[in-house]
Amino acid sequence: MNTNNNVYTIVYTTIIVVVAAAILAIAAMALKPKQDANIKAETISQMLTAAGFASKEDLAKQGNDQVLAMYSANIKNAFLIDAEGNKTGELETEGSIELQDNLKQENKNIASGNPSLPVYVFEKDGAEVNVIPCYGAGLWGPIWGYIAFNADCTEILGAYFDHESETPGLGAKIKDEAWFREQFKGKKVNFSKPDDAFNIVKGGAPAGDDSAVDAITGATMTCNGLDAALDTWFKAYIPFLQKKAGSAAGDACCEDGCCEEGCDHEHNHEHNHQEG
Amino acid sequence: MNEDLKKTLLNPIFKGNPITVLVLGICSSLAVTVQLKGACVMALSVIIVTGLSSFVVSLLRNSIPNRVRIIVQLVVVAMMVILVDQVLKAYAYSIDKQLSVYIGLIITNCIVMGRIEAFALGNKPIPSLLDGLANGAGYGMILIIVAFFRELLGSGTLFGLRVLPASYVPNNLVILPPMALIILGCIVWVQRSIQKDLQEK
Repeated sequence: MNTNNNVYTIVYTTIIVVVAAAILAIAAMALKPKQDANIKAETISQMLTAAGFASKEDLAKQGNDQVLAMYSANIKNAFLIDAEGNKTGELETEGSIELQDNLKQENKNIASGNPSLPVYVFEKDGAEVNVIPCYGAGLWGPIWGYIAFNADCTEILGAYFDHESETPGLGAKIKDEAWFREQFKGKKVNFSKPDDAFNIVKGGAPAGDDSAVDAITGATMTCNGLDAALDTWFKAYIPFLQKKAGSAAGDACCEDGCCEEGCDHEHNHEHNHQEG
Repeated sequence: MNEDLKKTLLNPIFKGNPITVLVLGICSSLAVTVQLKGACVMALSVIIVTGLSSFVVSLLRNSIPNRVRIIVQLVVVAMMVILVDQVLKAYAYSIDKQLSVYIGLIITNCIVMGRIEAFALGNKPIPSLLDGLANGAGYGMILIIVAFFRELLGSGTLFGLRVLPASYVPNNLVILPPMALIILGCIVWVQRSIQKDLQEK
């Protein structure tokens, strides 16, 4: 048989490709439940790491079941908020744990002004820890992360970042280098600049800037992407974070004019919102 | 076992090792040798991919249209790589994350295409399977030797277990890729001093 014939070549390659596609489709379907369970446990362990319950390495050594149990044991509640920071729904935290982990979709929803953003409230040593996600584009693929705030959302307690396909040794350092995420501890979101609430500064963050951290050498594109992701997501969360901060401040010093400042913020926010 | 099969199986392990003699697959051997565990999984993945893709291509060898043979080979190799990646994602998720892009890059590992072109296209399926497995094993062996030294000296651990006393100060240079190249160079040196016929005049 003449295997160099055009018709033969086309039919042959078509069959090979269809057979390969069928095998891959079957494998993907068969392995999907197992993979999804792994991804869920991974997402949860990223939150637990950001909130400071355990190190990522320790969590990776435990099975999926232990990670889920740790989540259920430490979480207080998890809910969804809208663009104004109002609670719109609850997420199941025990048994079949619900996560709002389609961050790609929410990233689009933030742009269109109609997001449904998750807040995970953990309880650690008697204090609340609020964990929120962020999501954006790195150099080669998506990057995302979880950021933990203290009870009144004024201070960052920890962060964890991950990526799909950043360059190992360069962009991948946002996940691999502990010093990078350690920098976020004690930092604040700049509520007065909602469009640029946090900075990752190439060449080093200016001393005394509470809302900036150092970028990573050789990972400029990834750091820029992460900076944009943080700005976008912090902006979306600022109404919620401010409410938390406002209610805590209000409890402490409503008598002596703090409230007015709080109202001012509120006013500014309304204004910005209308413009936006 | 007859002589030919034995030679097919043993030659790539030492005398015709794909990394140290054919100098194929250097890139990934520098990248995934920081820890033994990752190196072992990578070695196993490459063994499976080279073995099975050589086997499948050998089965198809008489029917493949010559003009599109590279594309057909690539489809087969890519399919194997994706299968390995999917299985790892399901059963060894943390290792899959650690190996990240390198699993996907097995497809560009010259050993796979090299053995298909050089061996599987002209030989029966069973010898091709053995040739693929043996070349993967030769690659894996070097990977594991390099990873052994890098993890031992770079972190003081083996398979994540501490073997050197805590007072040992890890050598950070060993963690970086250049040191992998130096260790690889030492292995080539040792091999060429044993196997004199490889020395260039």
